[in-house]
Amino acid sequence: MATIQIRGLVKRFGPVTAVNGLSFDVTPGTVTGFLGPNGAGKTTTLRILLGLVSADAGAATIDSRPYRELPEPLHKVGAVLEAAGFHPGRTARAQLRIQALAADADASRVEDVLDLAGLTAAADRRIGGFSLGMRQRLGLAAALLADPEVLILDEPANGLDPEGVRWLRGLLRGFAAEGGTVLVSSHLLAEVAQTVDSVVIVDSGRLVAQGPVAELTGGATGGGDLEEAFFQLTRKASR
Amino acid sequence: MTELFFPVEARRARRAGFARLVRIELLKLTSTRLGYGLLAVVAVLTPVWTSIAASGAGGSSGGPQPLYTLAGQTTVIAGGVWSMIIAMVLGVTISSGEFRHHTATNTYLAVPDRNRVLAAKAVVGAIGGAVFGIVGCVTALAVGLSFTAAHGYRLVIGAGTLADWSVGRVVGTALLGAIGVVVGSLVRSQLAAVVGVFVWSLLIESLIGGLFPAVRPYLPYSTATTLAGTPLGEAGFSPASGVAALPFAAATALLVAIALAGALVAARTTVRRDIT
Repeated sequence: MATIQIRGLVKRFGPVTAVNGLSFDVTPGTVTGFLGPNGAGKTTTLRILLGLVSADAGAATIDSRPYRELPEPLHKVGAVLEAAGFHPGRTARAQLRIQALAADADASRVEDVLDLAGLTAAADRRIGGFSLGMRQRLGLAAALLADPEVLILDEPANGLDPEGVRWLRGLLRGFAAEGGTVLVSSHLLAEVAQTVDSVVIVDSGRLVAQGPVAELTGGATGGGDLEEAFFQLTRKASR
Repeated sequence: MTELFFPVEARRARRAGFARLVRIELLKLTSTRLGYGLLAVVAVLTPVWTSIAASGAGGSSGGPQPLYTLAGQTTVIAGGVWSMIIAMVLGVTISSGEFRHHTATNTYLAVPDRNRVLAAKAVVGAIGGAVFGIVGCVTALAVGLSFTAAHGYRLVIGAGTLADWSVGRVVGTALLGAIGVVVGSLVRSQLAAVVGVFVWSLLIESLIGGLFPAVRPYLPYSTATTLAGTPLGEAGFSPASGVAALPFAAATALLVAIALAGALVAARTTVRRDIT
């Protein structure tokens, strides 16, 4: 199974340092929450990890390799970064067929993941008519097409209804229980507290805290406790 | 659930072959309506332009020469090269559409080697352009020959020349489709790139060609139109006089070189940019 390693990552956009010497690991068999306030550098870190943004310093690897050097990246990593990242004029089924071809996955997988995401009935509708929650489900379906070992998700609960959030929670827990590695960024702390095993908290591009949820909250595991711990840690870091 | 996540089949440890990348891009192109819409534009605009030109041939308002002359038949049959500009627009949408619709993230997650993606898109731009060229060629020939026959005139253009023009139209349109992909990679704003294609092809080339006639055979759009038999400059606003078009092979080589040079520049600049 694959481990995610971030080591001394630095990224500057002009005068702004978005990621500033960030280091952490994400181990297989766990769901790790990647938390931080807006502008903390979460999305930039995920995009560097996925080879979409180049780092100014440091390294981000999956299974000891940069994403761009993975032989069949979609078989190693399934990622959902933006729910809007689909052509609005394409149907969900066509979108998944394209991604199945890109992943060299069996065409039958398209129907499997449509079913898994609860999108079979909407498969031949154009994505432009989808709600945000349906797009999130489609993104997750696409991420699972090639049976990856790692899931990297940026705010996957955005737009999901309560049933969808519950579905997502079960999906991530099941994936990790099978030995998969999950890194999920979110600002829905109450939801994160119910889903993740450990958290990485960042602020202003720096690591603020990392560890099991119970450890950071002093043994309590409720959403309110994580929220309190999050605010204390980020407040302390910003002083 | 377990089987869904981790099937027994071995993971494939090879990079996506180039043919697969081309198939992916073809599937993208054919799974939205834009390509079909642009094809419909070619299928309508070409016969309409050819009909107007044929109807006005021999008139006193500056239209084509009479339809019984070589010049008149040439203008009518070989002049409707709208498919070439529309092919460039198609190419632009193939590449810049990834940024307009924020699909570049998924594209580069699947194939991190961006230069291979650009190459596959250029091939698909050329394939789409060739289809546009075929449709433009067939419709222009059908309408032009119909008008000639309806007036009872003899066709003064030889069959061999018509065949050369047909092949040239398909080749030229295909290469402009690939060049359009490169333009769309260099100028990520789709609107700016599409407007730029029209302004460059119809205005700037006319201006440059009018001011410096000797340069005209080397301008991409003008050169491509000459492959289809259009007299040099006639597809723009300043027909060239006394300047010969490049031979077929040289014109084709020039367009290939322009596409490759543009792709090289894009690969070293815009294609490498962060996808934020």
